[in-house]
Parts: sequence; structure tokens; C-alpha cells
Amino acid sequence: MGKTYLGEFEELVLTMVGILGDEGYGNAIVGEILSRMERQVNLSAVHVTLYRLEDKGLVKSEMGGATAKRGGRRKRYFKITNAGLSLLHDLQENRMKLWELLPEVKFSAT
Amino acid sequence: MNTPQPPSWAIRFLEKFCPPSLAESILGDLYEEFEDDLSFCSEAKARRRFVWNVFRFFRPGILLRNHYSYTLFNNNMWSNYFKIAGRNLLKRKMYSTINAVGLSIGIAFCILIFLFIRDEKSFDTFHKNKESIFRVEEKAYDVWEPDPENPYYYSAWLQAGLRNAVLDEIPQVDYATSFSNYGEVAINYKDQVFSENLTFVDQDFFSMFSFSSISGDQNQYLTELHHAVIPESYAQRIFGEEDPLDKIITIVLNGEKKNMTVSGVIEDAPTNSSLDYGILILPSNRSHYVMNLDKWYNFNTPLFIQLQENSGPEEVQAQLSTIVDKYMGESLAKRKLEYNIPDETVMFEYQLTNIEDIHLDTTISWTRSSDPKFTYILGGIALFILIIACINYVSLALTSSAGRSLEVGIRKAIGANRNQLLTQFSVEAIVLALLSLILALALVSVFLPSFNAFTDKNIRIDGMTALFMIGTGLGITMIIGLLSGSYPSLFLSGLNPIKVLKRIGTRVNAGFTKPLVVIQYGLSGILIISSIIMLKQMNFITTRDLGYNQDQVVVVHTNQKFDESANRFIEQFRQKVAPYGEIESVTGTTSSFNNGYSLNGYMIDGEQKSAYVYAVDPYYIPSLNIQLLQGTNFTASDSNALIVNEALVKDMGWENPLEEFLNWREDSLSAGARIIGVVKDYHFLSLEQKIEPMFLTLSSDDTGYLTTMLVRIASDNIPEAMEILRTSWVELAPDKPFDYSFLNEDVARQYEQYDRWTSIMTLSTFFAILISCLGLFGLAGINAVNRTKEIGIRKVMGAEIWNIFMLMNRQFILLVVISFIFAAPLSWWLMTQWLEGFTYSVTIGWDVFVLSCVIGLIVALLTVSYHSIKATRINPADTLKCE
Repeated sequence: MGKTYLGEFEELVLTMVGILGDEGYGNAIVGEILSRMERQVNLSAVHVTLYRLEDKGLVKSEMGGATAKRGGRRKRYFKITNAGLSLLHDLQENRMKLWELLPEVKFSAT
Repeated sequence: MNTPQPPSWAIRFLEKFCPPSLAESILGDLYEEFEDDLSFCSEAKARRRFVWNVFRFFRPGILLRNHYSYTLFNNNMWSNYFKIAGRNLLKRKMYSTINAVGLSIGIAFCILIFLFIRDEKSFDTFHKNKESIFRVEEKAYDVWEPDPENPYYYSAWLQAGLRNAVLDEIPQVDYATSFSNYGEVAINYKDQVFSENLTFVDQDFFSMFSFSSISGDQNQYLTELHHAVIPESYAQRIFGEEDPLDKIITIVLNGEKKNMTVSGVIEDAPTNSSLDYGILILPSNRSHYVMNLDKWYNFNTPLFIQLQENSGPEEVQAQLSTIVDKYMGESLAKRKLEYNIPDETVMFEYQLTNIEDIHLDTTISWTRSSDPKFTYILGGIALFILIIACINYVSLALTSSAGRSLEVGIRKAIGANRNQLLTQFSVEAIVLALLSLILALALVSVFLPSFNAFTDKNIRIDGMTALFMIGTGLGITMIIGLLSGSYPSLFLSGLNPIKVLKRIGTRVNAGFTKPLVVIQYGLSGILIISSIIMLKQMNFITTRDLGYNQDQVVVVHTNQKFDESANRFIEQFRQKVAPYGEIESVTGTTSSFNNGYSLNGYMIDGEQKSAYVYAVDPYYIPSLNIQLLQGTNFTASDSNALIVNEALVKDMGWENPLEEFLNWREDSLSAGARIIGVVKDYHFLSLEQKIEPMFLTLSSDDTGYLTTMLVRIASDNIPEAMEILRTSWVELAPDKPFDYSFLNEDVARQYEQYDRWTSIMTLSTFFAILISCLGLFGLAGINAVNRTKEIGIRKVMGAEIWNIFMLMNRQFILLVVISFIFAAPLSWWLMTQWLEGFTYSVTIGWDVFVLSCVIGLIVALLTVSYHSIKATRINPADTLKCE
């Protein structure tokens, strides 16, 4: 198996699933992105990304219990897997390494 | 109170495209969003957002997550259906063959009809300017015999001067050409003589119509009076391998020789063109052309015009009526006065018909125009045969369904639903229909030449036609498959599996087959009765005594100059062949039977009368064995004497005709022509018309010269007599073709169309009976098998073979009789319509119906008896020993 790559949006959704813990489902993720990043994203985009992440084995999902809300339809909860967590970890580490290589000069120039 | 709900159609839509495993949570999320939206915006807006969000989910990321596992299962079943269909077809070879033969004949008929309709539709559609090309026609008040319903008659023959008037006075007309077929003329090239068709057109003809040019400069085709353009096949006949361009041919027109230069070669008139042309030359070559230009009462040529692209026929029509006023207003007003016609009546009008509508226009006679009625009749026959074939399938499938019921029971028990069973049986029907299609296509290609001959068409199978055939064939096949498969499959799929598997009521009650057989045999009955009546009528016509002797008479067109010399030529010819014993007599006339006539109108004592007139010579009456009732035949000097027929005597109300005079020239100075004889009525016209008043005269004034020679041959050695005629002809008229026909064949040609219909009816009747009998044969077979045990028991109880035979056949005989009871009035009605076309026709008696019923019964009995006899001969011990 080759190395898994993540797109920016995928990484964002994956992180949010991690943050939300047991409460990660479609709408909650949209809401979380809105409140933390002030970024309006579409539900369908989030769903599609979640399924893709699930295909890659980075998240796993299960159906929750029925509620009176939502027209009686169950939620599909997403949880981050170990693979997902370590991928996030790796990404963070790599980014830090590269960050340190940035020359200070650039900052003073701005 | 309802809480606001998102649109349900959007939900259903999402459920359609979304994988079921994801749908619930996605819908839940959408619903949650909808409820959130409700808290801060209107319901309508929330619903809009919901729909929008649903559509946002319609994206590959979701759609491609569908796994079609469900349909995969179905595909397995499909292959099973095909396999079972194939096995069943092979298992019951006889029924499959019966069905396939019947269906393929039906499909073949349908394909032929579709080809026919396609060809009819394609008439004149190949012209690039077809939208703006129109035929000009006259609509004129019939002053002579006005029919109170519609006192107008319509014709495409117009005045020679109209072309110039239209071109000069109507700016919307771009082009105009006359188009007038002259008929055959003699053509000389080097020392050869040909007889070819001649057509008069103007140079505009080539700009208007899209007939492709083979050689020569299209813009210079008819720019000179002596130019001639010839069709390709004519060029091959006349010039062979030579290049025809700039060659000089001699055309003999009304006895006058004209040298013409070939300025071009164009394609032969396509078979689907209403314009059927021969050698094309300018109308100014016609005799009296210039004189006729301002004779607005002389109608002698059809006219076609092409309008400017943006102008419609309505504007032009208005301008045409000013032309009527300008050139004909005066004479029309005079006519109105003369015949006391009410002032408001429109006497004369021009009308326009688009070129594409000419072919199926029945109000105006035109070469190659056809009556859409024929298409309907052909279509009706094809439909009859197709229905009969479909019924075969349905009734055979139903009657043999007992054998399939177990299969249905098991399929249902292991979970087949009704739809799947429906699909299965439809697949079986369609597989059979597809097999028949292959057979049908083969039949079509075999029968196409004879179909072409019958319909007078030239349909060939090229790439497009083949595609079209396969396309329509597939279409018909699918419809047949679904139609004939639907009833058996509905019936079979409705069986109760428990009953079937427990063997309760295994004998399927398919009572519906009986009405089907009645329909089938009823349709065949209609065809049988109709064709018997048609055959009787044809026999009646061809054997009827016409009042003259039409056998062994040769008709020769003399092609002489149209003056006294034409009459002299016949005299010369008579003397030339007089020494030969093989030639009995030679006589001349203005027109032979079935070859034109001349109808003369005249006023006598203020009454309008009309009579047919033939100029003849004194040899006419004896030569044709016409019976002279009173008076004497002409002598050579009787130039002002008439011989009339009985109908004319009756029309005039003469007591003693030999003392009467007929002033048919309306000569105010004399009493008219003396009547010297009365002939017994003979059929100088077709039998479609009754015998009208007619007279014969020796005078060529007002009647024309003798253009046709009738030669009676004495000996039975026709080739020898023909050789004498030919050699005499070549000596007397070496530059004219020796064109001849036989009188009895000419007369028979009048009924060619009826003859064709009779043959197509007989052929379709044959096929209809064949297919119905195949079906009956199959039904009887199944019936015999179903009743094997019953027959066994009856035999054991002492039934005679004859009793069992009766028992087996009784019901079929009854069905056939019932169907004939339905068929008789229907076909009586149809045939009365058909016979109305004839003045002299057979009467439809009860004998026809009895005869056809007996034929139907005998055929049915023969078919059914095979199985009955087989069933009665089985040893009861064989059938009863099991169980």
C-alpha cells in the first residue's frame, strides 16, 4: 500500500471528526466547521468526503438510535480510527519539520 | 395542524438515486437542516433550500456508491428466461413451427406494406425547392352537366398563354414551366427507327426540379428551339456506346420531321416522381403553339410554378384571379348569360397544389397519381393476416398451458413474483417473434419482385431500405411479441400455486380460445368470400359478349401526318395487304377501344345532348362483326350520313330512326346528318361505364383523321400474318416504327387494376387460410391430447369410431359456422362497395356464401380430422393402463 494523501477539505473533515469524538455526524460537522473556522460548507460535500475517508479506513461509522427529531431517521455517527489519528499526527509532524526550515528573514520582511 | 414538511417528491427522488444504506442518514441530516432553516426563514424558502440540497447530493460521489447487486440477480433470471424459452421452443417443435410460419408471413406482409407506404410518402420529396413548387390547376363551373352537389370540375390542363402571363404579371413567381406529355413519337437516328415518349417543358424545368444532369450544360439545355434533352436510358437505346451530345436526331411530330440537336442527358424520371418525362423539347415545337398562346379557351398543357422563398400560395392565388378577369372575364360573363347561371357563381378559378401533394390527390387526374384507398386496403389485409397469426400464438399458448402450469407453480413457490412470470412469458413470445422476423426478412426478399410487379413500383433493397426494413421489422416484432405474449402470460402468472402443485383442477379452462378462433376464422371467411366474388366478377367481365369481335385484331398506330393523307395511308395499306389470304380486312378509326375517345356536345331543340363520336371507314362494321339492326352500312360516298347505336335512338326518343336527321354540328342551315343505320349497342368503352349514345361517321371534319388501323387476321398462323404486316409497313412507311398491339389485350388492360386486386386477394386468402388452418391443426392436436383418457373410456364403454370422430370435430365445425355467420354480412357490405365501381356486375347471391362456407368447412374438417382419426385409433388399453 502506498502512502495515503489527504486533500485540504478531507483533512479538515477528518480533524473535525476527531474533535467531535462520539458526536460526529453530518450536520454536527457542518456546524463545527462553521463555528470554529467561520466557513460555510455544504452538507453533501461533507457526506461525500466522509464516505471517502471511510473507504480509506481513516474513519468508521455506525448507525445511532432513532430520535423523534429528523423525521424519525437515525444518525450515522463517524469516529476517527487509529489509522486516521496517526495520519493526522504524521501530517502535523511533517508540517512542523517544514515549518522550522522556513527562514526567519521572511517574517521580518513582512 | 401540520408541522411543515419538506417536499415529498424530493425525498423520493433522493431515495431513488441514493444507495439505500446511506439514504436514511442523509435524509435525516437534510431534515435536521430543514428544521433549523424553519427557525429563521419562511417555510417556502426552507423547502426551496431542502430541494436544492437534495440536488447537491446528486453527484458522482453519491451516485457511484450504488452497487447494483439487486439487478445482478435479475440478470441471472434473464438468462434463465432465454434458456427456458429456447428449450420450450425445441421441445414442442410442431407448435413452434406453426407459430413461426404464421407470424413470419404476417410480419413479411407488414414489412412489405410499410415499404409500400414509405415509397408512396417519398413521392416528389427529392426536389430541393419542393416547398415552393406548385402545380397550377383550374376549377371550372361545369355548364354542361352541373352536379348540384359540386358543379365544378378540376383539371391540371391549362392554357398555353398562362405561363407568360404568370411570369410577366406575378412578381412572386420565380420560374414557370409547362409540362406536357405528348406520348410516343417516331424518332430517327441514322437509319434506325425508335418509338419514344416526348415531353414538352421550358428551360425553367431544370432550375425548378432536382433531376440530376448526366452530361451537357444544364443552363443551355433548352435555350434553342431545336434542342432536345434525353433521359439516360433513352440515350443508351438510341446511341448505344456513342456520346449523344450534339448528335442530331429526327423527331416525327404530327407527321412533320424536325431535326433536333441533343443538348444534354439527364437521369431517367425516378420511379417516385410524379413527373414522368421522356425526351424533353420546348413547347414552341408544338403545332399551332403561337396561335394557341392567346386562345384562352384552349386547355392543352399543365403548368408548374416556383414561388419566391418568402411568398405563400395565398398571395399568388389572389393575383391569379386578376389574370382570370383580364383574359377570360369577357367570355366567362357571356357564358354566364348564355346558360342562365346565377350571378354570384364563380365560373373559373385557378388553384395551386404543392408538388408533394400531387401524388395522393384524387380530384385531379394525373399520371402516376394514386388513391390512398389502396394503401388502406393493403394495410387492412396485412393487419388481418397479422391478427390471424397472433391469435394462433395466443390460442396455442393457452390451450397448451396445462403443461406449463406446474412450472408456474414451482416458480411461484420458490419466490417468483407475478412481474417476473410476466417477463418470462413475454420473453418467450418475443424470442419466437424474433425467429419469425428472420424468416420474414427472407420472405420479403423473395417476394419483393412480385410485390413490385403487383403494385407497379420499383422498390429495391439498398442500404437504407434494409435498415428501414430491419427497424420496422423489429418494431412490429416487439409489438407482436408483447401483444400475443401478454394474454397467455397474464393467464399463466395468475395461476394459484397451491392448487397447481396439489393437482387440483390441472385442466386449465381456457375458454377464451373459442372466441379467438371465431375471430380468426371470421377474418379468413371475409377474405374467402371476397375473393370468390372478385373472381366471379373478373370472369364475368372477361367472358362478357362485348357486341363486337375482339379476337385476332391487330391495332396499329399509323403515326402519319394529321391530315387527309392519314386516311389515304390506310387505303394504301389495305390494297398492299389485299392479296394475302392471311389478312381478312383492314379498317381505320380515330381511336381504338381503350385508346381515347371523343365526346361531342350539341344542342337539339334547346336541350343539351352529348354523344361519343368515331370517324371510321365503310369497312369498320363488317370488320369488327358489329351487328347492324336497321338500315345499311356506309358506302364510300356517304360523307354526311351517320350510323348510330341503340342508346342514341333511345336518348333522342326516335320511333323510326332511319327517317331522322341528327344536327350534331349545330348547323343552322341544314337539318343535319342523315341516319342510315342503327347498330346494336356494343361496349366501345370499358365495362365500368354503361353504353352511352354514340354514332359513327365517315366525315373527318370535326372528328379528326383516321390515326389507327385495325387489322383482322384470318389465319391461325399469327406470326406469319404479322410478318406480312411488317414487311408491308416497312415498304409503305420505312421511317415510322411498326407499333402494334392486339385488340383483346388492349381491352383486357382496362381491367388490369381489378385483375391485380383479384390476384392479391387470392394470394392473401391463401395465406390467411394457411395460417388459420395451421392454428386449427395445433388446437385440434392439443384437444386430442387433453381428451385421450376420455376417448379411451368412451371406447371401452362401446363408442363407435364414428361417434368419437363426431365428438372431436363437432366443436370446430360449430366454430367455423359461427364465424361465417359473422363474416357473411361484413364481406357482403365490402363487396357491394367494390362492385359499385362497375356498371355491369355480378349479383351477390346466397350461393357465394354457401360455397365459401363449404370451402371453409372442408378445409377446417381436413385439418382437424388428422388428429381426430389419430385419437380414435389409439388402443384404449395404452391410454388407460397408467394410474
